Amino acid sequence: MEETILREKIPFGRVGGIFVMPLGILLAGLGVLYLKGYAAGEMSKAFEPALVPYLLACLAEAFILQFLLWKKKYDCTIFPLVLVLVSVGLVEIARLKPELLVPQLRWLCVAQIILMLVLRFWKYIREMLLYPYLLGLTCVFVLGLPMIFGTEIGGSRNWLILGPFSVQPSEFGKILILFFLAAYLSDHRHVLSLPSKRLGPLALPPLRFIAPLVCIWGAAVLMFVVERDLGSALLFFGMAVLMTYMATGSKTYVFLAMLFIGLAAGISYMAFGHVRVRFDIWLDPWQDPDGMAYQVVQSLFSFGTGGIWGAGFGFGHPGFIPEVHTDFIYAAIAEEWGLMGTLSVLFCYVLLSFRGISLALQCEQEKELLLAAGCSMLLLLQAFVIIAGVTKFLPLTGITLPYVSYGGSSLVSGFIELGLLLSLSRGRQEHG
Amino acid sequence: MADWKLKRNMLKAMCLLLALCGVLALHIVYISVFKADELAENPLNQRTAAMQKEVLRGRIITADGKVLAENLPEGGRRYPWGEAAASVTGYNGENIGGAGLEAHRNMELMGMSRDFSRLGPVAQLLQADKGNDLVTTIDSRAQEAAYEALSGSRGAAVVLDAQTGAILAMVSTPAYDPNFVESDWQHLRDREDSPLLNRAVQGLYPPGSTIKPLVAAAALGENVTDEKEVFDCSGRLELADGSSIGEYQGEVHGQIDLKEALAESCNVTFGALGLRLGGRKLGKYFEDLGFQQEIGGEILMEGSHLPKFDSLGQGDLAQTAIGQSSLLVTPMHMALMASAFANDGNIMKPYLVQKVVSSKGIAMENTRPEKWRSALEPFLAAIIDNYMEQVVQGGTGTAAAVRGIRVTGKTGTAENASGEDHAWFIGSAQLPSRKIAFAIIVENGGSGGRAAAPIARQIIESMN
Repeated sequence: MEETILREKIPFGRVGGIFVMPLGILLAGLGVLYLKGYAAGEMSKAFEPALVPYLLACLAEAFILQFLLWKKKYDCTIFPLVLVLVSVGLVEIARLKPELLVPQLRWLCVAQIILMLVLRFWKYIREMLLYPYLLGLTCVFVLGLPMIFGTEIGGSRNWLILGPFSVQPSEFGKILILFFLAAYLSDHRHVLSLPSKRLGPLALPPLRFIAPLVCIWGAAVLMFVVERDLGSALLFFGMAVLMTYMATGSKTYVFLAMLFIGLAAGISYMAFGHVRVRFDIWLDPWQDPDGMAYQVVQSLFSFGTGGIWGAGFGFGHPGFIPEVHTDFIYAAIAEEWGLMGTLSVLFCYVLLSFRGISLALQCEQEKELLLAAGCSMLLLLQAFVIIAGVTKFLPLTGITLPYVSYGGSSLVSGFIELGLLLSLSRGRQEHG
Repeated sequence: MADWKLKRNMLKAMCLLLALCGVLALHIVYISVFKADELAENPLNQRTAAMQKEVLRGRIITADGKVLAENLPEGGRRYPWGEAAASVTGYNGENIGGAGLEAHRNMELMGMSRDFSRLGPVAQLLQADKGNDLVTTIDSRAQEAAYEALSGSRGAAVVLDAQTGAILAMVSTPAYDPNFVESDWQHLRDREDSPLLNRAVQGLYPPGSTIKPLVAAAALGENVTDEKEVFDCSGRLELADGSSIGEYQGEVHGQIDLKEALAESCNVTFGALGLRLGGRKLGKYFEDLGFQQEIGGEILMEGSHLPKFDSLGQGDLAQTAIGQSSLLVTPMHMALMASAFANDGNIMKPYLVQKVVSSKGIAMENTRPEKWRSALEPFLAAIIDNYMEQVVQGGTGTAAAVRGIRVTGKTGTAENASGEDHAWFIGSAQLPSRKIAFAIIVENGGSGGRAAAPIARQIIESMN
């Protein structure tokens, strides 16, 4: 294979070394902030003494990781793409919420270590694919936790407080759901593709096989209504539909799913005030630009003010948007880096996902293929849902922009997904 | 090997996702490019205001170095001249929009040149912490004299350098105080005497007899009369449509030539000349003097309301020739007309800012005087200029005379719907250093010779 030859013939200094260059974005960005603070006479809170060890640790880990990936013949292009996004995210966090830079670097350290662990123990992790029902139950349990013990942060009741940490279980639930779907669908995909009843143009599969799928759809809706977490709900639902379609190739499921979500949406709109508010804001944010729609309107202003070239890093006013460092970080990029920045970031996700899909095509086992494809699509879908939300393309949802937004749960779960993709990229060679 | 169907389905699903991302990318392009200006300029968008607060706004100063507007070290903007220079400085409020130089030269005051604003991050390199100073053409003595003379009444005054078009004074009363315009906004808007209106460039008034120099020039230029013809003023001109025009306060001028008719402002003579000229020829001279034109930018002069010259009836034609009927003009335009007679028939383009100077003292922009129109033949301008001198020396405008200075002028007493006549005086003066042209109106002030001509004298004396 072409890439294999590339990796074997070209020394690390030329391939792996160059591929950690994205970290230059991080260093250059921090340099700009430092000089700006120096010139203005007041240093940004980002430059506290604790920054240095964490920064060095993150850089060292990134170098070691890339070296390992090259040495052990993993795919060498995904990690650099993620580094681009992570660097952009860190630079923006340092600019928007300087006091959160060190915590985020700490999370990056942890996430990179977890990535190494995933690669190291992949043998055992892949075993999980053998127990779909156990996976399903665990998933329901994890997602159910915040419904019972959850705490409301930022309008969504999807947080668990564990001592000093607050964790978003849905970030990890989405990985479990990927495993469950990959395992369950590849076990049953022939049965699921066999129509047993016909209802007009629709071929309906046996009920007992689609029951678990309906459960997941239902769980997604429940998440939205009870936890008010529209983003995760959309993500879960979208993944379930995409993966079912991949496994069965049957448009009936897609149709059923759309029917189901349509009904659920209609009922929630009529029954729950917060759903109605979300939807009405999306239809016309200018009705209440200083109230409920404030965030979206300010986000749109950011895009308009940024225009094509942006105001320049550090020269915009993204601070008008509440929560700009998490869900709305894309609007900050739009204001200061302009259309050039926003399209580049979007393009990074497309490349990442594209690379993931091409790796999936080379997987030999159905389960692994589904898992790799699911992972790639999950990343792109998540980026799509939140970017669509902040640009008023879809109703606003509170999920993070993978690798870029501030947040430990999000970063760690993103790196676990990265670990899965990388591990799957290597699998083909052991068997081949 | 995994099932090929699985791979095909996977690719289809991926294509769907990619298509969604493509549509999203187009949407982002739409809001960042095509909707960008609308969103950036939305009144709810505080970003421009926030940017303005970060920049130390430049000063507005007069040609002789007096400060008209400056930022205080502790924040806020101060207008030392208050009402007296309000029509020059204008204001720039967060919620009330802007006017005058503060609004129209905002970019320069903020230290940005118009050309840089679309360069994105590169513009930050060129953006200074301090804005540029605007050096206006205002002569503080003339501005002060004009404001003092007009304060207490409604009116306007414009003083120009006839040879360059530099605006030496521009006053509109009643004025607002730019220091408090934001806090008094509602009150200022509701006031019946409209202090927010800059009457010098936006006020439209019947010109009355001040239009007669134009009619005289037209009559001589079109050969419907000559300098030697003697007119007989019986005190009333009967018109074919049954109407008639009379003289101011029932005067009878008897046997007079054109020069005396202008000096005495004889309605009968000028009404008759209007009839001889006819609508089309008269209209051509209004057009040559640019009355149909507006001026944009920081001057923002309205175009005049002109009658339809091609289809004027006898009555309206005679009335137009004495500055009544439906004719409405701005004081700025009357000053421009006065400058044409004083400047060999040429009108220079009026300007208010002579220099934009950076905080480090570098001149960013220098205004070069430009000719606006070649309005009249030089020989016609010279004849009328000579006639207008007679107005001040021995006619209706003697109140404007200043010893040792050649002053020309024309009075006007314009009938209008709002009550007492508007008092007008337009003209020029040859000062030792420069030649100025001016127009002054006092709303409902009565006789131009008594209410407006003395203001011209005060302005000329202040600059002498």
